[in-house]
Amino acid sequence: MSSVAFLYLVTRVHGLRTHLMTSDDIRFLARSKGLREVSDNLLKTEYGTEISKLPTKEVDAATLEAIFLKKLVERFFFLIRQAQGNMRDLLKEYCSRFEAENIKRVIRAKHGGQIMEESNLIPLPREYTLVNFPALLNAKDVEEVVALLHETSYRPLVESLQPYRETGSTMVLEAGLDGIYLGKVWKIVGKVSGGNGLKNLVGEEIDLKNILIAFSLKARGLPSSLIEKMLIPLFHRVPKERLHSLVQSRLEDAPGIVTTPRYRELISGAVNLARGGSAVLLERIFLKQLYEDASKALETYFLNVGYVIAYLLLCEREARNLVTIATGKQLSMGEEEISQNLFEI
Amino acid sequence: MSLQRAAVTRGVLLRLREQIDFIKRGKELLKMKRDNLAAETNRLLARVAKRHEFDKRLMDAYETLKTAYMTLGFSRIQSEASTVRLLEAKIRPRSLMGVLVPEIVYGKKPVITSITSASAYAVAEKLSGLMNELLEIAEAEGRIESIAQELMMTNRKVNALERVLIPKLLELIRYIDGRLEEETLEEFFRAKRVKAVIRGVE
Repeated sequence: MSSVAFLYLVTRVHGLRTHLMTSDDIRFLARSKGLREVSDNLLKTEYGTEISKLPTKEVDAATLEAIFLKKLVERFFFLIRQAQGNMRDLLKEYCSRFEAENIKRVIRAKHGGQIMEESNLIPLPREYTLVNFPALLNAKDVEEVVALLHETSYRPLVESLQPYRETGSTMVLEAGLDGIYLGKVWKIVGKVSGGNGLKNLVGEEIDLKNILIAFSLKARGLPSSLIEKMLIPLFHRVPKERLHSLVQSRLEDAPGIVTTPRYRELISGAVNLARGGSAVLLERIFLKQLYEDASKALETYFLNVGYVIAYLLLCEREARNLVTIATGKQLSMGEEEISQNLFEI
Repeated sequence: MSLQRAAVTRGVLLRLREQIDFIKRGKELLKMKRDNLAAETNRLLARVAKRHEFDKRLMDAYETLKTAYMTLGFSRIQSEASTVRLLEAKIRPRSLMGVLVPEIVYGKKPVITSITSASAYAVAEKLSGLMNELLEIAEAEGRIESIAQELMMTNRKVNALERVLIPKLLELIRYIDGRLEEETLEEFFRAKRVKAVIRGVE
């Protein structure tokens, strides 16, 4: 990617960043009296066009969530169209997280013997996916889904079929998908020049994912051998040996094993949560760390590829915050409770 | 059975005596049934008494569910939930002292091991743990409802036998017994009189 094209992309992202909702906007929405007021307030934002199409009676958290996800996907794929060369390839691979999530959804439904419709998938632009989702949805079981993915970049998923048959759990397939997705991104990260900030952000996502897998599965009491199979075979700041030790040892010993300063506080927090039986909050603290670092990256990597990825992560945070507010309001939760569950901006 | 309508014969008396024996035995059986049903109700009430504490745990699980919904959103929770097959349970009637009570027969239990998300798993673990208890409580409540209705009916029957039918029959027996005694005496005097008349004629 030429420096001009790169500068254009970064400048464009600088501009797009200003479209993101501010902390005050989010707090204002959290203070709304009900879901109706939330949707009314969102009419003045980028989500307004889609929300205004909704009949008043059909406004519920699930519909709004679909709109937030649609906007998120639009924001991600918009950047692909602005990029060129390696950067375009990187963004294409990075955006395939939605494709991977959709495949996971299909696999889950097929495993549970449930009928799934296309409306349950995250809407993706047809030109950016090689996966034939209508065919996946019509597959009779998980094995057929994996077979249908044989001609795509998810071909290595076949290797996870045997462990799936043995364990009877789709977790191994999902871990396989995460491994394939992050593997593709990680591979291209090395090709993008000046991508130190980029490497840190993607690497951190991999590290956090691995630590979260180790923590959540250990809290469930799963055998270490199975947990090791679930780990993503990519490592950034937490070396393979450390992760191996983390999986083998007790959760209480985790702070002594993962000594990476960046994750120290996070690990202590996760140990406390797992000990206190509050596993429901585990994901939140890992995501919180990722989004906080993405926020910091916006200041640090001002003219770096990392800025683009940090922006995308913050788009994701905004979508998650809006989902939290809409769901919280639908479930008649108070402002304080909703605020506690928001990711700080 | 009205006193006036009853035929005053030895046959009727005998039949009434047999009838009262039968009714008394029936009353004893009904009393036994009532006691057993009451004992079963007490046993079931002990199970239902856990409900208050259960409700608290259920509310706690719902709070966790709300948090999971807020963290993951409806679509992700729905997707995670789709890996779990439905709980298989059948309700069949079972006879308890002649009372049809519901009995829950468990089939395959839902397996939650495919849930990937930590928050969704935490909720699923709590809710699936509570599901069995919920069914047990529902079964106990259903049984209590059926038993209570039968208990009320049995009690009415026992009361009706004890306070109405048996006293009436006893009275009738006493009446017929008295009338028969009178008739015997009458017959005796008549015979004596006839004898005296015959002797006077001679």
